[in-house]
Amino acid sequence: MNLLCIGISHHTAPLELRERLWFSDDEIRAAMPKLKEAGFHECVLFSTCNRTELYVVTAEADFRVDFLKKFLIEQKSAQSHVNEENLFSYFASGAAEHLFRVASGIDSMIVGDVQILSQVKSGFNLALATGTAGFFMNKLFQSALHIGKRSRRETHISEGAVSVSYAAVELAQRIFDDLGSKKALVIGAGDTAQLTAKHLLGKGIGKLFITNRTQERAELLAKMSGGTVIPFEHFTERLAEIDIIIASVNADKYILEKTDIERMNKGRHGSALFLIDIGMPRNIDPEAKELDNVFLYDLDSLNGLVHENVEKREAEIPRIREIIGEELAILFQWHSALQASPTIAALTQLLEQIRKEEVEKNIHRFAPQDQELIELVTRRIVNKILHTPIVNLKNGHDESHNDRLTKINIIRKLFGLDARKERSHAG
Amino acid sequence: MFPSNGSKNAQNPLPCLWHNNCLNFEKLIAAQHVEHIIIIDILNIALPLLYFLLVWVYGKAFFADFPWAKELKSKILFGIILIHFVYLLDRTFVFNHPPATTIFEILTLLAFSVAVSYAFIERLSRAKETGYFILNIAFFFQIASSLFIKDLLEVPDVLRNPLFGLHVTSALLGYAAITISAVYGFLYLMLYHEIRASKFGVIYKKLPNLETLERMSFIAITMAFGLLSLAILFGFIWLPKAFDDFSYLDPKLVGTLLIWAMYGTGIIAKKRGGWTGRKVMLLSVFGFVFTIFSMTVVNMLFSKFHNFH
Repeated sequence: MNLLCIGISHHTAPLELRERLWFSDDEIRAAMPKLKEAGFHECVLFSTCNRTELYVVTAEADFRVDFLKKFLIEQKSAQSHVNEENLFSYFASGAAEHLFRVASGIDSMIVGDVQILSQVKSGFNLALATGTAGFFMNKLFQSALHIGKRSRRETHISEGAVSVSYAAVELAQRIFDDLGSKKALVIGAGDTAQLTAKHLLGKGIGKLFITNRTQERAELLAKMSGGTVIPFEHFTERLAEIDIIIASVNADKYILEKTDIERMNKGRHGSALFLIDIGMPRNIDPEAKELDNVFLYDLDSLNGLVHENVEKREAEIPRIREIIGEELAILFQWHSALQASPTIAALTQLLEQIRKEEVEKNIHRFAPQDQELIELVTRRIVNKILHTPIVNLKNGHDESHNDRLTKINIIRKLFGLDARKERSHAG
Repeated sequence: MFPSNGSKNAQNPLPCLWHNNCLNFEKLIAAQHVEHIIIIDILNIALPLLYFLLVWVYGKAFFADFPWAKELKSKILFGIILIHFVYLLDRTFVFNHPPATTIFEILTLLAFSVAVSYAFIERLSRAKETGYFILNIAFFFQIASSLFIKDLLEVPDVLRNPLFGLHVTSALLGYAAITISAVYGFLYLMLYHEIRASKFGVIYKKLPNLETLERMSFIAITMAFGLLSLAILFGFIWLPKAFDDFSYLDPKLVGTLLIWAMYGTGIIAKKRGGWTGRKVMLLSVFGFVFTIFSMTVVNMLFSKFHNFH
């Protein structure tokens, strides 16, 4: 039984190629049965914004890598854009290790990405639902999900914001207890402002206001995010009720002077005011930072936080590799035991058959009252002969994977178990 | 062995049970109390160690993120509060007076009060990250108490009155809550400056957010105000009966009333006026400093009727 993984990711291809091989759930449902028909025992396929990966289990010695690469490209009719060199491939333990790296988040574009684990899980669940994942994939993906959880539980791989927009929201959470009771104002409709607004909404901000010089863009963002538009000319009148301001407009001079913030602050009885200035040039007078209960951050301070968090996440990679190593060892052990089971069954069957044939051949030589005893004694002899080899095959925890396979192969060859299997198939 | 039981003094401390030459059984209340005294002696040694363990576990949870420490810390706190309660009860039962007649008895009561007040605040606010800072106070109070506490058999009758116990216990719980509020105020100011200075270290990552710290400080202040109200009420009932020379102008009484009024005004200002933020937390720290200062000055210079011995 062999495992193969092929796929495309940010390591092997740019976005414009990756998106050509992005599979929707319906496309995955349609593609998987074709792989089963092509002779692959089990298969799992999943797509995220940064990767598409296909895992297959085959009994054949030839992995048919080219066939699978072509299959993926043809399924998406991407022959004119994507070629086989844009796809990577991993075999056997390499494929398992790759899946474990993906699930742990260390293979992600943003190290420690939290979404990847749920995406791997969804891909596996889809394969279960389409009936293309069996016991091997079940064990492999359960191990991968376990690694993902361990990585997040036992290390700091997913901690700390690693984008400017998320860093802003994380900072807001260090100041405010309940974002649901707070009001935020987004000034401008640029990408980072949009992302910050999206993250704030994701964290349950109570009320979101949007203002922009171009009213249409403000309305578009409001429609997308469920916010309320305030005309740009009037936004300063509403400042007293706002707790969080995200400013991101192109302006030659500050759109919020220190005096504006001072005025805002007066009616707030000391409530914190959180200002994020991601405009270039800056939109908010930096001197406002000196005011009591005002927390003002610009791009530089947010980038500093992001950089610090990225370094901390990267420092966790060696520990994650240890976790992957531990789980790989467990998987190999399981796999070895899996390979031992058919050998044990075949060996038991062979000796039982020999015993039965010999008893049948010679049973008439014994008195009727002894025949039952002969049956019992011969069975005991066979069981005693089998006991030590079976125990040794089952308990090979201290041996390497290769040593165990060698042991199994020697037994199969010595007793001619494979030849017997072929004969019985031919028969 | 702690020196608590080792010497006799004017208040007839119990002799040390471990040295035959110290034994003075006629001063023992009854033979059946020997077992209780052994328990008290063991707990007297065990409590500082237990508080040290508690602070260590809270520290591991805060600084090192140990999952087992996060899981166990509140349970250990509850267990130690129970053990400490047994210790205080046992002392009260064996020595026939509430353990509040000397500074070292008061210190163990204070340690207990800090632990209990913190446990309440932790439960109410559901923020468990600040225990390390608060429980250190309990640990130091308990160490000082265990080292020097004496087992007094003879105290003035006035101190055996249950109202005295209620008065002192509620007052100490109130002052413990004031201390906790000040610690939260201090933590708030630390976090406030870290965030404003874009320093994103342990304080930034591990402490609850600013609004939560402010809320915890306010819970502590509200508790303190309620407990001081009770202490004053019990005091007004008990003190005139207990002391012939009782005066409503006693400096300690006036000082306590001033502190009580100060915190009462702060609570009303916060509730009605919506006061919040850095200045309120500064007031919380200054309130604590004022409390400590006024009580120290009153105790050192003026106190007359609160000097029980």
